Amino acid sequence: MDHRKQQQQQQRSDPRLKKCPFCLKETKYIDYKDYPTIKPFMDYFGNIMKRYYSGLCLKHQKMLKNAIERARFMGMVAYRK
Amino acid sequence: MTSLVPTSEDTVIYEFCVLYPANLSQKEEQTLLKGIEEIFAEAEGKQIAKDAWGRRGLAYPIKKQTEGNFLVLYYEMDPTKMREVDRQLRILPNVLRHLMVKPPKGYELVKYSETFEQWQKDKVTDRETKRKDEESKLQRKVVEKAKRDAKRTEVKKAEVKKKEIPSTLEEADLSKKLDELISDDTLGL
Repeated sequence: MDHRKQQQQQQRSDPRLKKCPFCLKETKYIDYKDYPTIKPFMDYFGNIMKRYYSGLCLKHQKMLKNAIERARFMGMVAYRK
Repeated sequence: MTSLVPTSEDTVIYEFCVLYPANLSQKEEQTLLKGIEEIFAEAEGKQIAKDAWGRRGLAYPIKKQTEGNFLVLYYEMDPTKMREVDRQLRILPNVLRHLMVKPPKGYELVKYSETFEQWQKDKVTDRETKRKDEESKLQRKVVEKAKRDAKRTEVKKAEVKKKEIPSTLEEADLSKKLDELISDDTLGL
């Protein structure tokens, strides 16, 4: 068992164990104009990152989706690269 | 940073974002801004804040424009007049996009025109620090490698010397023995 535990620690941490970065900051609203906060949750192609990988809670994922869709409409963020 | 609270119960604070092309002449731009102000004056809106972002690149071309000016406005007005404002903004020429949002309770006003500049400066400094870090890392690596190489060559030289000394001794011994053998009369060569 010890050996297996060590191996797990050496590998990448489990995505399920991540904590929501917005919950840690206690954000109540994600602004569509705030590009620097939105950017890390999008991949190169402009897709919104899956909740499994970003570790967001459902509440903040929905807020983020809203913000990104608004930013896309206004031409601040690309729909598809 | 000021939080937005409507003065009376009948009115709501709305946020408007307008995108217009960057290549307009000054006259056109002024008429456009006047038109926007007129629309809000008709709807009896009270301006709370204005945030002009200036020229920005667009993520994708809109009506063949790759650059645009963003204008963020905060107005306090009657909710029933929103539909009319939306219609007027849609009709107004030279407006690429417009967005109307009701900010949530306790929303704090942030001037993104200023934060954006700060963010870009941070980005540049970040990049520089990263490059410096990488350079220092590379230098350290090179120095370590040079040290290792020097050590290796020293070790090799020492080994070679060690090897050479006994071999010469052996040669001397051999020649001596050979001489002895040759000079030995008992063999009867």
